[in-house]
Amino acid sequence: MSNHVALSATTHRNLRVRTESAGNLGDAVMACITFPAEFRSVQNHFPILFQLAANRESFSILALFGFENGENLFLQGGKWDARYKPLALAVQPFLIGLPREPGGEKQVHIDLASPRISAHDGTRLFDTDGLPTPLLESMSQKLGDLDAGYQGTALYLAALQKYDLLEPLTLDITLNDGAKNRLVGFHGINEEALQALDGAALADLHAGGHLFPTFMALASLSNIGALVERKNRLHGYG
Amino acid sequence: MERPVRNLVIVGGGTAGWLAACRIGARRRLDAADPISVTLIEAPDIPTIGVGEGTWPTMRKTLEQIGIDEADFLLACDASLKQGSRFDGWVTGEPSDRYLHPFAPPAPVAPDDLIAAWLEQPDLPFARAVSPQQHICDLGLAPKQKGMPSYAGALNYGYHLDAGKLAALLARHATTRLGVRHIRDQVTRITATDNGDIATVETRSHGAIAGDLFIDCTGHASLLLGGHFGINFVDRSPVLFNDRALAVQVPVDQQASAIASQTISTAHAAGWIWDIGLPTRRGVGCVYASSHLSDEQAAETLAAYVAATSPHVDASALGFRALSFRSGHRERFWHRNCLAIGLSAGFLEPLEASAIVLIELSLDALLAGFPADRALMDIHAGRFNQLFRYRWDRIIDFLKLHYVLSQRPQPYWQDHRAEASIPQGLRDLLQIWQYQAPSDRDFAAAGEIFPAASYQYILYGMGHSPSANSPFQGGDLAEARKALEMVRQKARVLASGLPSNRAYLASLQPARQPLQERTG
Repeated sequence: MSNHVALSATTHRNLRVRTESAGNLGDAVMACITFPAEFRSVQNHFPILFQLAANRESFSILALFGFENGENLFLQGGKWDARYKPLALAVQPFLIGLPREPGGEKQVHIDLASPRISAHDGTRLFDTDGLPTPLLESMSQKLGDLDAGYQGTALYLAALQKYDLLEPLTLDITLNDGAKNRLVGFHGINEEALQALDGAALADLHAGGHLFPTFMALASLSNIGALVERKNRLHGYG
Repeated sequence: MERPVRNLVIVGGGTAGWLAACRIGARRRLDAADPISVTLIEAPDIPTIGVGEGTWPTMRKTLEQIGIDEADFLLACDASLKQGSRFDGWVTGEPSDRYLHPFAPPAPVAPDDLIAAWLEQPDLPFARAVSPQQHICDLGLAPKQKGMPSYAGALNYGYHLDAGKLAALLARHATTRLGVRHIRDQVTRITATDNGDIATVETRSHGAIAGDLFIDCTGHASLLLGGHFGINFVDRSPVLFNDRALAVQVPVDQQASAIASQTISTAHAAGWIWDIGLPTRRGVGCVYASSHLSDEQAAETLAAYVAATSPHVDASALGFRALSFRSGHRERFWHRNCLAIGLSAGFLEPLEASAIVLIELSLDALLAGFPADRALMDIHAGRFNQLFRYRWDRIIDFLKLHYVLSQRPQPYWQDHRAEASIPQGLRDLLQIWQYQAPSDRDFAAAGEIFPAASYQYILYGMGHSPSANSPFQGGDLAEARKALEMVRQKARVLASGLPSNRAYLASLQPARQPLQERTG
């Protein structure tokens, strides 16, 4: 399925990557991973939800794009219809690779099996002299942000669990034609528990940098209504 | 209204005639009480001259107005995308001597500040410093990506095309879509009304064709304006004295060869060589002055160029076609009810591809100032003549600029620099530009044909160095430096995203076009 290799200016000198958003380029997903450091950008468009892993022990944090598998309501006519595309999706087909030697810097990897890889279309990664193009520079930057963001996630989730701020969320979504979608298995910020926190707890959360993202995650739930509207429009019920 | 102008008769069917038919045909109101009729009379078996194979960016708007899809046009005319003209060997003739006149304007800062910021990077060619287009041209890339809409690009561009195929495409479009009447016949006689207007053109087998306005697109023959009305030809060859050309079509590898992003004009001892890359062939031609070079020497010059640029092609097996011409134009272009458009109005050596753009500008002017009634005709004609006399003068000045800045030692080039051969207006400008950069103040007429930017590209491309003796202080140099840094960044971004010309044109082939994806 995938073919991850470390990116190299010699081997991949003439490789091109298609950067547009499209379902057949890997963007037809109902959600992607997000992390507290990008909540400020994500909460503007997408609901931020917490999903319990199958082992019921760890959470992952998701930005929601649709209500069923493969449904991305932000893909409109081959364009990404929002001012922000979460990093985990935006860095495709690049990945963070392990350092070549222990303690070294992490590497930029690329999935050569991705439909975004092309010989003729899209944007070059290296110029004819073998120097990184602005696209690759920006992708390296994004991968670095993503890596740092992932590393902050565990601490953040631990803090939420410490103060018991997550609660199961059942979303009943009724479309204009009466069809009902029920989203289960997700958690959201428990607003009552958040409001009931005392000063010491708030100070503790704030000191760890966890308070801002928590309010942003809470506020992001108002995007669910907008997402329902997108779905209604798409189906012509609007 | 005394006598409405409704019947338009175009005589001649080359690029000029069919562009006229299409532009007028696409613009006219068909729901009017008495709609304009357009008839084009084309003599069978008159070959098109086939040198006008480069356009300006204006052609995008022209084709869009006519209602032709860009991909259809590119495929039907074996066209490629042209981003400017490159001049090789015009200053000294050394191998490193080359500069580009790109279509994209320089970074938008005050000219003198732009020059000052550029001079801080003395190794960078002017065009490379002030516009991202040179980098893209040097890499042989297209100005647009697959999926960009018709007639829009990341950088400004025009076309290289097969003029014969363009005329055929326009003819098809005019007759099948725009309701233009096409008569294939020989014009035998022109008859006049009592007041001296043209009444009819008589044809061999279609009788007399009457009209209210006659558009003379008969090429060098200038059958109506020159032949019938006897409007004088103004000889401009004292300024531009090239008078011959030898043209050849050089075959290329249609799958793999690179297609140049610009016209390449290479100077030789007594003229220059054009090189226009199409997907299917290269059109190459040697322009020269018969007073300075014999036809045999010209043929040797051309053969040597073909051998050097296409070593795998046997140059001796290719047929050279000889053309002779005189640079100049009619004293007036619109006389009574006859308007000459194209070569019938005048001809200049094809440096900077002024032929097709003059056709487009003439049609723009005709449609913007159309004589709805015969009573208005002379007023519009007077305005047209004034405007186009000015435009011909400006083009001649601009072409001459390419020669006067040369340092080449041969007698031909020395003669081009002789003061008496340089128009007074250009001499004045050159003096002014010793002290300041060409600016829009130097070209203040409405609808200037070459903007100050074009003069900057030639002037500084050819090594003209402005004096540091200005008594005034400069403007915002920091702003200009920032603008040049943005040019550099934009060049990098574009270089990484744009396909080669060959890859872009191949992506238009219907069979190779992938299915448009649908999502959501």
